[in-house]
Amino acid sequence: MPFRSLFMAVVIGTALVVAAFLVNARRPRVERDQPSPALVEASGKCAGCHRRESSAIVDQFERSQHAVRGVTCLDCHRPLEGQASVDHRGFVIAKSLTARNCAQCHAGEYEQFARSRHAAPAWAAVNGAKDFTAQQLAAGERWHKGWVDRAPNPIATLEGQAAMASGCNACHAIGKPNADGSFGTCTSCHARHSASVELARLPSTCGQCHMGPDHSQIEIYEESKHGALFAAQRQRMNLRADPKRLTTADMSVPTCATCHMSGLEGAGLTHDTTERLSWFLFAPVSDKRPNYERGQAAMKDVCSKCHARSQIDAFFTRAEAVLQATNEKVQGIVAVMDGLRKDGLVPKKPFSTPLQFEEFNAWHYYGRTAKHGAFMGGADFVQWHGNYELLRLRVSIDDAAAGLRAAHGRP
Amino acid sequence: MSATRPLRLTPERAAEWFAVANVAFLGVDIAIAHAENAYRVRAEWAPLVFSAAGTLLLLPMALGRGGAAWRWIEQLVGAGAVLVGVAGMVFHLHSGFFQQQTLRNLVYSAPFVAPLAYVGVGLLLLLLRSAPRSPDELGWWLLVLALGGFLGNFGLSLLDHAQNGFFRWTEWIPVVAAAFGSGFVFVLWLRPPAAPWPVVAALVACQIAVGVAGFALHLWADWHRPAARLTDRFLFGAPAFAPLLFADIAVLAAIGVWARAQHPQDRAASQHDAGRRDQP
Repeated sequence: MPFRSLFMAVVIGTALVVAAFLVNARRPRVERDQPSPALVEASGKCAGCHRRESSAIVDQFERSQHAVRGVTCLDCHRPLEGQASVDHRGFVIAKSLTARNCAQCHAGEYEQFARSRHAAPAWAAVNGAKDFTAQQLAAGERWHKGWVDRAPNPIATLEGQAAMASGCNACHAIGKPNADGSFGTCTSCHARHSASVELARLPSTCGQCHMGPDHSQIEIYEESKHGALFAAQRQRMNLRADPKRLTTADMSVPTCATCHMSGLEGAGLTHDTTERLSWFLFAPVSDKRPNYERGQAAMKDVCSKCHARSQIDAFFTRAEAVLQATNEKVQGIVAVMDGLRKDGLVPKKPFSTPLQFEEFNAWHYYGRTAKHGAFMGGADFVQWHGNYELLRLRVSIDDAAAGLRAAHGRP
Repeated sequence: MSATRPLRLTPERAAEWFAVANVAFLGVDIAIAHAENAYRVRAEWAPLVFSAAGTLLLLPMALGRGGAAWRWIEQLVGAGAVLVGVAGMVFHLHSGFFQQQTLRNLVYSAPFVAPLAYVGVGLLLLLLRSAPRSPDELGWWLLVLALGGFLGNFGLSLLDHAQNGFFRWTEWIPVVAAAFGSGFVFVLWLRPPAAPWPVVAALVACQIAVGVAGFALHLWADWHRPAARLTDRFLFGAPAFAPLLFADIAVLAAIGVWARAQHPQDRAASQHDAGRRDQP
């Protein structure tokens, strides 16, 4: 073969190889530099099918911080120890994802979440202790003594499985015990493929569950000055700000997450939504939480980003006064009902007479509402949706009790 | 209507067998490739049906049967193959690349180069059934088609292995082999008919070695995939048969060089064959 031909063949071959290297080098590092071939493939192959099958999840993912940071589909979807797996078009993926998948990278956040009431106590509040493993039960009880190892909720039991599954557990699954040993799912607040910090900071996200007469936090927030300011200034806020670098310049108006979780200007960022609470407001008669002092101090620190210390102290003093007054009103109603129960005028079986529902409504609806209204700046909820209803119920229950006693000759 | 040609091995006869074998085997390869997509789109059945029907219609050609009617049918199969190939390329690009023209979508779309194999085989059939020509001209065109095949192998191996980021260095071997193969076939195409047989033998041996090694490595990679179901490992893993295209195209190039290097008496025999084939 003449040298000229050999030379041309080598030049052409070399040029093609160099072109191949150059083209490959132009690909983003996230598409090339992964620890396994499957992870490289996941950086593009998953989207290839899902852009046709369920295109919204691809769009959501591509706009997420996960995509920006080079997280691939398989990073989250690969099965971890204790998770059932399934073959899926050449990939082995977890049958369903749990908080444990998120904890691969967000271990600190998961640990905070796991000791919050969003974890084991949330599930146990409806379903009792039966679904927890011994380890999960111990972990839940360690942080919330008596709130996990408990019986199922009697109302949920009476309403039946279908109502529990689509009603109660739609929210309370945030703390569902998983087969892999973890609790719940982070997607309740952050959604799935958008993995959004912004979403978790929106009051409406918390309001998906914290709403209605039994825990009307979103309604109270929207009525409060905080809520009104948020509605007015939402467009000026940077809800996507890095949680570790969050300042009042990003969020000058507080949302639920600001007060209860955020690391606003050095406040300790936490996924334990219990950490800054000082009272068991949800209880029929509210007691101080074990971390009362620390919790209230932490909350007041966040308040101090906007309010003077004297204002904050006065606010908490007024709120605690409402709490004590509500406790007394609920205790009064419970005392009347206990007297009826003792005299056999009300059955011991729960929720079997209208009067028992009135007793339940007294603390579960109106007592809670009054207390939450007081601590969240919702005046109307302290008054008309709380105390007024408590007063009305007290009169109604006293009247019914007097009627029962008269009817049964038990003065 | 039909005539029988002696089963004497000539470059033209070898090219005919090559064409029939490729139409048939493309069907097998595509049956596996489209199973990966679960034949979601009805059009994915088209190349399978075409390959099955095309193979049956080309069998007389492989067996040395000829005649005007068969010639017309073979040309029809050739034209159909070109149509299927071009349509397939458009469909493959439509799977992702036409939505967003990014490098990533090009890498992860269905392989757009693959359907062009039909175009190559179709053009080969049309070439074989075109007006009488000299073996030199046949060889010249066979080398053009082989060059297209080598460039196709270059693109296929580059895009396929880019899907897993050239995770192993060995994945660059077919890219380099196809690149230099293209260079050598290009100069063979430019050169006058005298064949540099040692170079051709080395080229063919090298491409066959790359193809067989690739076949073995793809099987090995598939076997070791983590999928629980064995079928999933091969269905969604590295395409086992794809590397054999290297050997396939090298054979076509060798036939092309052979045609160009024929002795005058061989050329006369070939031309005689061609003349008989073209008789009505």
